[in-house]
Amino acid sequence: MTAAIEAHDIHKKFPNGPYALRGLSLSVRRGEIYGLLGPNGAGKSTLIRVIAGLHSPDSGQVQVLDHTMPDKNVLARVGYMTQASALYTDLTVWQNVAFFAGLMGCRDKSAIEAAIEFVGLLDRKNSLIGTLSGGMRQRVSLASVLPHQPDLILLDEPTVGVDPQLRFQFWDHFRQMAARGITLLVSSHVMDEAERCDRLGFMRMGQLIAEGTAAELRDRAGTNDLERAFLHFAEEKGVDNHEH
Amino acid sequence: MNTNRRSFILARRVIQQRLADRRTLALMVVVPVVLLSFMGLLIRNEPGKLVVGIVNEDQGISIAGATFNLGDRMLAVLDGFEEFDSQSMTAAEARRKLDAGDADAVITVGDGFTQQVIETNRLALVVEFEGSNPMISDRLTKLLERVALQAANVAAVAGSPMPTANTPNTANTTGVETTIESRYVHGGADYDTLDYMAPAMIGFFVFFFVFLLTCISFLRERVAGTLERLQATPIRPREIIVGYMLGFLLFGLLQGAVMLLFTVFVLDIHYAGNLINIFLVEMLLVALSVNLGIFLSTFAQNEFQVLQFMPLIVVSQGLLGGMIWQVEDMPGWLQPVSRVMPLTYANEALRDVMIKGESLLDVWGLVLILIGYAVLFVLLAARTAGRAKI
Ligand SMILES: Nc1ncnc2c1ncn2[C@@H]1O[C@H](COP(=O)(O)OP(=O)(O)OP(=O)(O)O)[C@@H](O)[C@H]1O
Ligand SMILES: [Mg+2]
Repeated sequence: MTAAIEAHDIHKKFPNGPYALRGLSLSVRRGEIYGLLGPNGAGKSTLIRVIAGLHSPDSGQVQVLDHTMPDKNVLARVGYMTQASALYTDLTVWQNVAFFAGLMGCRDKSAIEAAIEFVGLLDRKNSLIGTLSGGMRQRVSLASVLPHQPDLILLDEPTVGVDPQLRFQFWDHFRQMAARGITLLVSSHVMDEAERCDRLGFMRMGQLIAEGTAAELRDRAGTNDLERAFLHFAEEKGVDNHEH
Repeated sequence: MNTNRRSFILARRVIQQRLADRRTLALMVVVPVVLLSFMGLLIRNEPGKLVVGIVNEDQGISIAGATFNLGDRMLAVLDGFEEFDSQSMTAAEARRKLDAGDADAVITVGDGFTQQVIETNRLALVVEFEGSNPMISDRLTKLLERVALQAANVAAVAGSPMPTANTPNTANTTGVETTIESRYVHGGADYDTLDYMAPAMIGFFVFFFVFLLTCISFLRERVAGTLERLQATPIRPREIIVGYMLGFLLFGLLQGAVMLLFTVFVLDIHYAGNLINIFLVEMLLVALSVNLGIFLSTFAQNEFQVLQFMPLIVVSQGLLGGMIWQVEDMPGWLQPVSRVMPLTYANEALRDVMIKGESLLDVWGLVLILIGYAVLFVLLAARTAGRAKI
């Protein structure tokens, strides 16, 4: 089976900005959880946006579920959770989730209810988003990408602001989804989350500097700590980064 | 630290924030000057000449061997008024010009008019007003009263064997009684400024609210990141725009309907139109306003900057769009500015449909222009809706 995401030699520069992506290639297999790790400004969100078809890369090619992006039709099979929760604050939890589900072609009430239940907000389903706490909004944001049963879910720092207990539940659920064959691409700063990914990609300055399972990366760096491993690869790459 | 000091710190922050937004600052200074000068021009502006036709069907009478025709003399009287552009015409021409709005009023001098005035000492001026602008009808009526007086003088001089002193135009010293028999193509004598303005007001408020609401909604959509999420779903830019149009159509039409009912039943506006036609024009106006709102939301980073569009887009169209002052009466160089504004055409169409009771076919030219604007704004809005946040 082909990969869920196939990105080849992506370059992206913003007008009057730095290079956000510099010749990045990435392949995410179906049914795996792929973790993107990297410091602020590494280009994680930009990469996810390119994959979601929101930015067209300056050069390079992206294939999502066998379709070359940008392709509107394939988006119905993708769920994209943005880094900052993007919701209508003057609508209720239910209205928000139902709206995005509807655009994805899902009008199944039980699926909407299940998604809201998954993030533990069924008792608040009629609350306005504006009256929820930051972490709760983040949860609604996650719920809104689930009802249409996407084959690929792009999660840009999904657990920021979510309390540890719920974060644990999220990851249990991510694993269950992966077991059902759903592909997840997750960006994160949190290293203990990285442990629960099938594979990891370390990103720095718009490039993928290392890739593999957590154990592999630790071994190659000769350390038993992921954070140290990241620093190791960053230093290794450091030389050619200074050329730019 | 005392209170004053803290207030100064806050004041400094407010000033810093405003200084960071140069565009708002510039507009705060420039826009009022521009709008004030428009108002000055419009209020002080001398209105254009009134087109008055005269249809003379009288043969005149013979006095002391010469033909005396009061109708011909009346044309000379009209020529004496610099407010008038007086034209002699046939009855058929008069009909056509009045119906097309090319003449403001037509005086008809019937057969035997001269004789009747001389014999009965009564001068009844038969005038048909175009009537769609009550301000013009009022002005005309006052001027025509003076015309009647002067004509009466002429008649008195010609009719009396002993010529009296020629004192035209001041008081009626002739003994000839003057009246004006008015008829109206549109409206009537009890037709006032409100009748003229109400249709345009309905259009203006629909435009104002729909434009403002869309602009802010779309700005929020962009700033809150929900636009980005929409773009990551299968919905296409044109579907976003149609969705917005359908949503706001409901409120635009509701607002229009309430205003229409209120003006007709409470304010007693003279209303001759067909509801369907009015709603169709309004629908065009809503479509146009929604898309202009979406498009212009690109040029705003926050709600303050949306408010800047008020004087620029809304007030200027209120002043120059023919709601209060007729476009035809504006200074020549200002008229092209009005002619660029979509509300000018919407106002004209609504007025024709509501007051003159014309059908959409009668105003097809205006409808076509409105459709043109709607299409233009749809194209611009589609670009906005499709563009990712840069
Ligand atoms: N819309 C934009 N316009 C200009 N520059 C941008 C834009 N979006 C991102 N950038 C730049 O691209 C680079 C990568 O940004 P990106 O948001 O992808 O980083 P990130 O890895 O997601 O960081 P974080 O962990 O903080 O979310 C940064 O230098 C950023 O300033
Ligand atoms: Mg990011």
